[in-house]
Amino acid sequence: MIGLPRLLRGQDELLADALVGRRLLRHWSELCVAIAAGAAVYGSVLGWWHGPRLAAYDALKLPVVLLLTSALTVLFSWTAARLLGLPLRLGQVAVLTFLALAVGSVLLASLAPVAWLFTLCAPEPSPAARTAHNLLYLLHTALVGGCGLAGTVALWRAMVKLGAPRRTVRAVYILWVAAYALVGGEVAWILRPFVGSVYEPVVFLRDDALNGNVYEFIVTDILPHLASID
Amino acid sequence: MDTETPAPPPQPPHGFLGPFNELLTEPLALLERARAGTARLAPLLLGAALGAGLYGAAAGFFQGGEQILVAGFKAPLIVGMTLLLCLPSLYVFSSLAGARWSGRTFLAAVSGFAATLALLLLALLPIGWLFSVSSRYLGSAVWLHLILWTVALLLGWRFLGRALAAAGAHGGTVVWIFLFALVSLQVTTFLRPVLWRPPGAPLFRAGEKMFFLEHFGRVFDVPAVDAKPEKPAKPAAPAKPATKPGEGPGAAR
Repeated sequence: MIGLPRLLRGQDELLADALVGRRLLRHWSELCVAIAAGAAVYGSVLGWWHGPRLAAYDALKLPVVLLLTSALTVLFSWTAARLLGLPLRLGQVAVLTFLALAVGSVLLASLAPVAWLFTLCAPEPSPAARTAHNLLYLLHTALVGGCGLAGTVALWRAMVKLGAPRRTVRAVYILWVAAYALVGGEVAWILRPFVGSVYEPVVFLRDDALNGNVYEFIVTDILPHLASID
Repeated sequence: MDTETPAPPPQPPHGFLGPFNELLTEPLALLERARAGTARLAPLLLGAALGAGLYGAAAGFFQGGEQILVAGFKAPLIVGMTLLLCLPSLYVFSSLAGARWSGRTFLAAVSGFAATLALLLLALLPIGWLFSVSSRYLGSAVWLHLILWTVALLLGWRFLGRALAAAGAHGGTVVWIFLFALVSLQVTTFLRPVLWRPPGAPLFRAGEKMFFLEHFGRVFDVPAVDAKPEKPAKPAAPAKPATKPGEGPGAAR
């Protein structure tokens, strides 16, 4: 079984199997467990600023973000790979993309103590702690983004071993990462809150979860606000 | 026919200072002995705590008095807590970068890093002490110790970077030292006050929560007159009684 040590020490066995389409379901299942466990550990710290309830919600929601985004994008990833000349089976695409997510999740879990320290040191949630909220938000975004980036590095290294022309691999890699990032941003927006708001009570999902998407929010709220700052 | 035999592990260093001397001259010997199961890590960890404590005590000379002991106590706590919080990420980062660890070799690398940091802090101690004693503004003392800590971390990375490379890691691990630096600032804030404590203030202020940016911003607002009150002027010497005629230096010879 690809336990944590083997996930960390190199995924030669997994990649060898993935290249020939062997034991895909088993590898994919093990990667799902790694993703769920790692993301749950970090999720529990992510929500801890607002107490154990949001921590428990996030321990459940963060793995869901990763797994749901994969489920939404895997068909596109497989289709795009085939169209661009990378003849992978759906199972192979799933294993490769889940490998990247598993690496990112394990990295996130290793950073949970660091995130916990900053959460512990943040002032209690209140409207007066808006700056602390924003800083915590930035910290979590940086950590999650950084670990996601590291995961894409693992994906690239794995894809290079497919033996396909570098141009093809690069094009497919960019499409996979872009699709995942675009969809992942929206899935995370729908499943908010994660850090929690200083103005609103702790809930599992916002009432307006499906009322507008994150990119609309950026264009209609964030950018005009930034533009109005002198 | 001769068969190749693996090279024996390096001879263990002697005495309490031996392991520290070895860190300066043959830093990777520690890892080789850890692989062979003959490394002694306790002296390194003990020395690391002692070295950090001495540096802390020297820094405590800024305020002097009781704060020398307080800072000497807190400095090893800061280094130790930071290391503990960053250990999981070091293991995962380095493993993903290709390092092959056993429990012993990983602990040896961490102990060597802690001991190297302590050696560097001891080497910087005279400088830290001089500026602590002579600085009047808390802000300037803080800046000084931040700079010295950065120097120690950058040079300490030389050991850890080589240890990671010897374990098989290639690239990408230097980000960990920046994480370590960031966490050390927050741990310092959590364990404050370190350099200066207002009269009557508690030993720890963990209940007053803040990020390190706010804390380090506030220290620059402490005026010199509060951080280091001016010593009261010496009382004027009493006037000498007037001399009688015929007495004193001009008296008849």
